[in-house]
Amino acid sequence: MLTTPTDVLRGTLDLLVLKTLHLERMHGWGISQRIEQISKGTLDVNQGSLYPALQRLEQRGWIDSEWRTTENNRRAKYYRLTTGGRKALGVELAMWRRYVASVELILETS
Amino acid sequence: MHLFKGVLARIRAIVHGTRADRELDEEICFHLEQEAAKHERSGIPPGEARRRAMVAFGGVTRTREAHRDVRVVRWLADLVADARFALRSIRRTPMIASAAVITLALGIGAATAIYTVVDAVLLKPLPFPHPEQLFVIGEDNTEREWHLQVAAPANYLDWKERLPAVASIGGYADGHASTTFTGDGEPRMVTTVQVTGTFFSVLGAQPALGRTFRDEETWEGATPTAVVSSRFWRSALGGDSAAIGKSIRLNSKQFVVVGVMPSTFAYPYRDADVWLTMQWSSSAREQQSFRRAHYLRVITRLRPSVTAASADVQLQSLVRRLQQEYPETNEKMSASMVPLRAFLNGDERRPLLLLFGAVGLLLLIACANVGNLLLVRSIGKQRELSLRLALGAGHPRLVRQALTESFLLSLLGGIAGLAVGWMGVRALASTQSAELLPVQEFGIDWRVLVFLLLVTTVSALLFGIAPSLWGQRQHPANALREGSRSSSDGRRMRRWANTLAVGEVALALLLTVGAGLLVRSYAALRRVDPGFQPSGVLTVSIEMPGGRYDSTAVLTQFDRALLDRVRATPGVLNASIVSSLPLTGSGWTSDFAVRGRARDDFATEVRHREVSGDYFGTMRVPLLRGRTFTEADATSGDHVIVVNDVLARKYFHDTDPVGQQIVFDRAPDSTSKWRTIVGVVASERQLGMQIEAHDEIFAPLAQEQQGSMVLVVRTAGEPLAFVPATRRALREIDPNLAIESVQTMDDVLDTSLGRDRFLMTMLLMFASVGIVLAIVGVYGVLAQTARRRTREMGVRIALGARAAQLRWLVLAHGLKLVTAGLLIGAMLALVLTRAMQRVLFDVQANDPLTYLAVALLLAATGAAASWLPAYRASITDPAVVLRVE
Repeated sequence: MLTTPTDVLRGTLDLLVLKTLHLERMHGWGISQRIEQISKGTLDVNQGSLYPALQRLEQRGWIDSEWRTTENNRRAKYYRLTTGGRKALGVELAMWRRYVASVELILETS
Repeated sequence: MHLFKGVLARIRAIVHGTRADRELDEEICFHLEQEAAKHERSGIPPGEARRRAMVAFGGVTRTREAHRDVRVVRWLADLVADARFALRSIRRTPMIASAAVITLALGIGAATAIYTVVDAVLLKPLPFPHPEQLFVIGEDNTEREWHLQVAAPANYLDWKERLPAVASIGGYADGHASTTFTGDGEPRMVTTVQVTGTFFSVLGAQPALGRTFRDEETWEGATPTAVVSSRFWRSALGGDSAAIGKSIRLNSKQFVVVGVMPSTFAYPYRDADVWLTMQWSSSAREQQSFRRAHYLRVITRLRPSVTAASADVQLQSLVRRLQQEYPETNEKMSASMVPLRAFLNGDERRPLLLLFGAVGLLLLIACANVGNLLLVRSIGKQRELSLRLALGAGHPRLVRQALTESFLLSLLGGIAGLAVGWMGVRALASTQSAELLPVQEFGIDWRVLVFLLLVTTVSALLFGIAPSLWGQRQHPANALREGSRSSSDGRRMRRWANTLAVGEVALALLLTVGAGLLVRSYAALRRVDPGFQPSGVLTVSIEMPGGRYDSTAVLTQFDRALLDRVRATPGVLNASIVSSLPLTGSGWTSDFAVRGRARDDFATEVRHREVSGDYFGTMRVPLLRGRTFTEADATSGDHVIVVNDVLARKYFHDTDPVGQQIVFDRAPDSTSKWRTIVGVVASERQLGMQIEAHDEIFAPLAQEQQGSMVLVVRTAGEPLAFVPATRRALREIDPNLAIESVQTMDDVLDTSLGRDRFLMTMLLMFASVGIVLAIVGVYGVLAQTARRRTREMGVRIALGARAAQLRWLVLAHGLKLVTAGLLIGAMLALVLTRAMQRVLFDVQANDPLTYLAVALLLAATGAAASWLPAYRASITDPAVVLRVE
């Protein structure tokens, strides 16, 4: 059992963000909280690295953003999955599963 | 390295704006706040909560940098790489690249210049508020072939009072008037315009200083007032605001300056210095002459709610009422109105549109040429493209590189084009054809420049990326295997290049035919006999100030003294004085009737000039019958006249006009002054070289002396060499006389041909550029074809073909292209040059000689362009070719 939370693997952050935005639009902090919550603290998203990732996803056209007010009446930038992003999520997910399965296979057989 | 990074960061901030940075900061700020708030909720003190939030975030600056990198770096890096690649590739084919850039520069530059001028002259609104409400009302008379003529003052006043559609109406006395201004220094000529008091308010023109005229100032009464131009205000009144209220002396009369116009106001003449009011006497209105003398150019501003059509209905009904009320003067008079803009543009429209069309053709050729050059070049790069595809370059990336390259070429061409356009506009503005370009200052129109840049860039892009797009459909392995020999895409591109070259030749032929027609027209104009011998004649225009020169006796004495002095100058062959020069269109006209003919047998619009001394001898106008004037005629009191042979033929047919009597009236009565014809002279063209001589009557100057006159001196040798002597003679007689202008008669003739020469020169320039571009296009295609067939040539030589046969192979291809282009171009020209007929003189738009000459010229240059690649192909060394493959 690991006592310190694992760093998010390079490249998987994008997948996590896409998955998180799958349900509803969210701002950056919300995304980081959601990932932490659902992983029950086992995954530690480096909060700072979240923003370049969001920018990258936006450039690829997978998500888009919009300034809105929060329930506490603060201005925040909300991100949302685009149709392209939805498709990409499917592809990325499939790839990830294949990847995990392969790693699993190797670990089990050797 | 450190320095470099700092600079790069700054560039990034500039390139990508600070907006993204600001937004990111706000986002991070929000994030940290939320995180800190979360910790505070679990009971951690605010300071510590903030610290923990920062730690969890892990370095704001680093995030910011990373964010920026994502935003900028990839894009920038790709761009830099593409640009460097493009530069390298341009450097590899410097000939084609520079040809493309020069082509773009010429096309963009010429089109920008011409469009800027056309826009300034034809399209820009007049510099008055609500110019769409401004109209010119002119008088028509079918019998005299008048249309939109200047109006008689009495008719103008009726329009002013009886047209409800008119918001305001005013006018000016048509025709340049020069007046002697006597200020502190030498007396000098200034251009004055007589206007109604409403003139400025109709146009909505505001003074820079003081006020403009009031309506009541139209009439005689108070002290005469003057409004001056800002140029006059600066040069003659010291540019002092105290000038308002000052008195100035014009032709020995005093005027009080009441206003100064801004420098932007130059109406109706560019060189207008002083505006004066009409000063009509209140009794004049009842006199018939007030309705008979036509000299007022009338401008009106319609009420905003009124349409031009309904205003015209009112005008026409008023015209009919006036015809009934004043049958003696108005029976045949009607009136019509046109927008002021259309009136001002009347004559410039056609030549400018012709230039516009020509420059459009040139731009088309330029686009085709750039496309062609790039296409030809990319055919050469087919193999390279295939290779790079095979090595794993992405298609989008290849397209992007082609785009960058084309864009870079366009950019270079655009910059050079801006330079050409700037020079072109300045050259156009400085041409002598003042009447063609009534606007003095042109700014380059940036919108136009951008538009043209877009057009050419798009065409460059289109042809620049076409090969890389076509390449997509082909498997790289195939292209590589077939090498440069015969891929289907290559064939398609070559077909395109051929088509473009043919199109260029066709358009070049069209342009050159246009230019050729103008050359023929100009040559025909130059061959026209103006009716006099211009070379060796000096003309000096003099304005006689009123006051001192009001009596006939004084004037006659002045004329005689002046002529005696000038004739005494060694080298002067003859000298005389005339009221106005031929070819300039100035002068006056009247009706006339012949004694003994039926009452309604009269003529209209006969031109008048007055002469003193041996005018016909000085100008070498042949005397056909009778005699010219003698010294005695000037003083004898017998009214004698000389007519030109156009008049003699028109009104006297076979009978001898000499001895007949005429009168300047249509219905002679007991008060009429009868004049006896003593001679018939050959006809001078009065209105210009393009226009047949009108019927004309000459009288001795002493009988009808006017304020302005022209001294005409025939000299042995260069006329301008006699200017000092002539000036001296004038000064000796009256030191206060101002010389208005000095010109040789050849210059007068040149000026009258100014517009035709200007048009011809411009079209010749366009045509030569067009030909050069077309030749470059043909050459490019042939050079490429020849290179492609190098291997074939080698094989042919190895098999024993002779060099001449090989040359012919390439040459035939070139000639085929040129011939196709010529045929298509000739068909286009036959249709399109018809629109030119109106600007042509004595040449038909389908003039066979022009077509033949132009076709031969283009065929010859086309053959020459084909020769070089043909020659190169014929000296192919088979051994080299085989080794290369």
